[in-house]
Amino acid sequence: MKMNKVLERHYFDIRDAKFGNTTKLADGVLTISKDELREKVKRLLKHVASIDFELVKPGENTRIIHLLDTLTPMIKRSGDGQVYPGHFSDPVMVGSGETNVLKGFSVMESCALPWEESSASSGLLYPRDAIMEMTGPIAKMTPFYETINLVITYQLHEGKSSHEYDEEIRAIGIKVALSLAELTLDQKPDRSETYSIDEVNPDLPNVVLVWQCQNQGVYANTLLYGVPIDEIVPTILHPNEMLDGAVVSDNLAWPLHKVPTYTHVDHPIVRELYRRHGKDLNFRGVIFCRSHNPTNWHKSRCANMVVKLAQYLAADGLIMAWEGGGNAAIDGMLTIQCAEQHGIKSATITFEFGGDDGTEGVLLVDDVPEANAIVSGGSIEKVIQLDAVERAVGGDTLRLDKEKGGYFPPATSAISFDQSIHLYMAANQAGHSTQAGVDY
Amino acid sequence: MLKAVYYTNQFFAGIGGEDKADIGLFSLDEAKGPAVGLDGLWKGDMKVVRTIYCGDNYVNVDARFDEIKDSLLEKVKEADADVFVAGPAFNAGRYGVACAKVSALVKEKLGLPVVTAMWHENPAVSLYQDQVTILSSTETAAGMRASLPALAAFAMKLAKGEKIGSAAQEGYFPTGRRYNEYVEKIGGVRVVDMLLDKLNDRPYKTEIPLRESASVTPASPIANLKEATIALITTGGLVPKGNPDSLKQAFSVAHGKYALDDSVALDSAHFESIHGGYDTTCASAEPNRLIPYDALHEALEEGQIKSIFPYFLTTCGIGTNVKSSRLIGQAMIKDLQEGQVSGAILTTT
Repeated sequence: MKMNKVLERHYFDIRDAKFGNTTKLADGVLTISKDELREKVKRLLKHVASIDFELVKPGENTRIIHLLDTLTPMIKRSGDGQVYPGHFSDPVMVGSGETNVLKGFSVMESCALPWEESSASSGLLYPRDAIMEMTGPIAKMTPFYETINLVITYQLHEGKSSHEYDEEIRAIGIKVALSLAELTLDQKPDRSETYSIDEVNPDLPNVVLVWQCQNQGVYANTLLYGVPIDEIVPTILHPNEMLDGAVVSDNLAWPLHKVPTYTHVDHPIVRELYRRHGKDLNFRGVIFCRSHNPTNWHKSRCANMVVKLAQYLAADGLIMAWEGGGNAAIDGMLTIQCAEQHGIKSATITFEFGGDDGTEGVLLVDDVPEANAIVSGGSIEKVIQLDAVERAVGGDTLRLDKEKGGYFPPATSAISFDQSIHLYMAANQAGHSTQAGVDY
Repeated sequence: MLKAVYYTNQFFAGIGGEDKADIGLFSLDEAKGPAVGLDGLWKGDMKVVRTIYCGDNYVNVDARFDEIKDSLLEKVKEADADVFVAGPAFNAGRYGVACAKVSALVKEKLGLPVVTAMWHENPAVSLYQDQVTILSSTETAAGMRASLPALAAFAMKLAKGEKIGSAAQEGYFPTGRRYNEYVEKIGGVRVVDMLLDKLNDRPYKTEIPLRESASVTPASPIANLKEATIALITTGGLVPKGNPDSLKQAFSVAHGKYALDDSVALDSAHFESIHGGYDTTCASAEPNRLIPYDALHEALEEGQIKSIFPYFLTTCGIGTNVKSSRLIGQAMIKDLQEGQVSGAILTTT
């Protein structure tokens, strides 16, 4: 039977938010009762001792630290399944029917996850401090300088495993997001938009997005319908599945590469392909796969399978985008090479190196001659000077340089970084930011 | 009023063509040749106070250029100008090199802001674009009138000390320097734009140039392994527990050198990997998998090699840029040469 997948998204603009005795949404003003939210998630708390909430608004001179995932509150109004399928619902196919979405608002998780060996023994799989700011030079690296952000802060019981903390922190975050979105179920949206790619114009080129996500272990995973993608072979997602939260982020290891769940849902490239669908191109779908495949053999296998799926979708062109650094870049470049060799034109977006003035060595970890259409997400090797801020949310001290025994400067103080490791979403590989490396 | 020094060759100074290309250095305390056009465009806000000219052959021959360097710099310095302008050189190869070479010298020795202009295929562009600002000009002098306004405007900006924009905004050839900016459109929009241009055969420009990476010639094989001292190196981040030298777990800038002999317990009680790019649990549990001293020691006992270099060298290979990698490599080589090492096994992760 021919596919008929139509998703109607109803948007509820959140113009302001405040704490109060009762959680309610009226005239775009969200009132949040901390106690009511605590009650909603009470059953989930086993390894988390307690939670608290803070609100951070656009224009505030505020830094958010120990930042983990960021979510968009939404809920199904009709249609199969529930948003974030596989988490508080069965992994039922999503992407059709109606979904209510809060706009201009995010739910954030902030927690100083332990560095102890029992929890994070590896140099890779430990949560590096992630920082964002609402104003100043790094504000525009994330979309959240423009949103009202409800930050959940977590106090943990000691001695649990990273897996236990990770599962529970995420569950609480998703539950809070679902609970807030529930408020909209009997309300009229500010506006609605219909999403479908069923209509194909034979005169326009067929385009797919290849979305390749990090998966290296707890704290560095991506979940598809609730399950990490360790063993995934490349698969096809309907973009509406992403809009309904089929992909959830669990990448806490590298803040600069982090693509939060919010951005998997509101993916800038998906958004743009949808906007131009039927006008300049036919958006034929998303090919979803894993980056950080362990060997060149696995990488080559993955690249070939991606391109085969693109052929099935009759793609004339593909956009290759990935989460992650050098390892992931090799997967991406092999995919570009394979696509071009099979007559599928490709473009990509990635961060670059080059040192502080851009002159040092090659700009990319890896490249292939076929990669001749590369958008710059900006260099991650620039010295960045942050001024002192009035308020820090998430903790009193930053946690840096674990391998050197730790460095814990006050969270509000001025600080300089030699590169972007700790800056949330700085690598810009989902194309969410306007940051770019520019020739001088 | 601001002051400019202008540089040109024998031809544009009106002395003569190829037959006069061997003349030496001259200067006039007035605008001459294209400088007259620049003066006109500056409308009294800036004036060429000195025109310096020289035969192209003179400047292009290094030995002769050396002879006039001091005198040239003295003439520029005397003029006490705010900016140094040369050309446009269009597609004239020797004149292009002269403009760029003289500009580079003035910039380096006097710290004066400099600008020149030429056609994009002028060989001087690729030779000098990383050293001096070279604006794009027309191919031939027939385009003098079209090329001078940009040169005049840019020179005025330099003289006033105004902020200089990107290569694309200002029209100069990229210098190799790249800085981050927040541009107009997000990356997600630009990448779709670029793909559509490519699909529709419209011109587009990749935003990240692919730079050539240098190739490394492998050393010749060890002639007699039985006489060889072998070293062990890893980029897998193995360090004595506690990371005494504070090596970085990513973006490395240095390497560590640690004792490796029979008195060293190469085990998880004394060593760990601090590498930030892989799950180090197994490597920390058994350091011999990063530094295979156990296997090399067997080879030593069997007489396959003469000796083991009594240190291992280590760093973290992740996110390390080429410049740092080169420096780390050179420093490692120094250690190996001092130890008269004949060969090394380098493990990577």
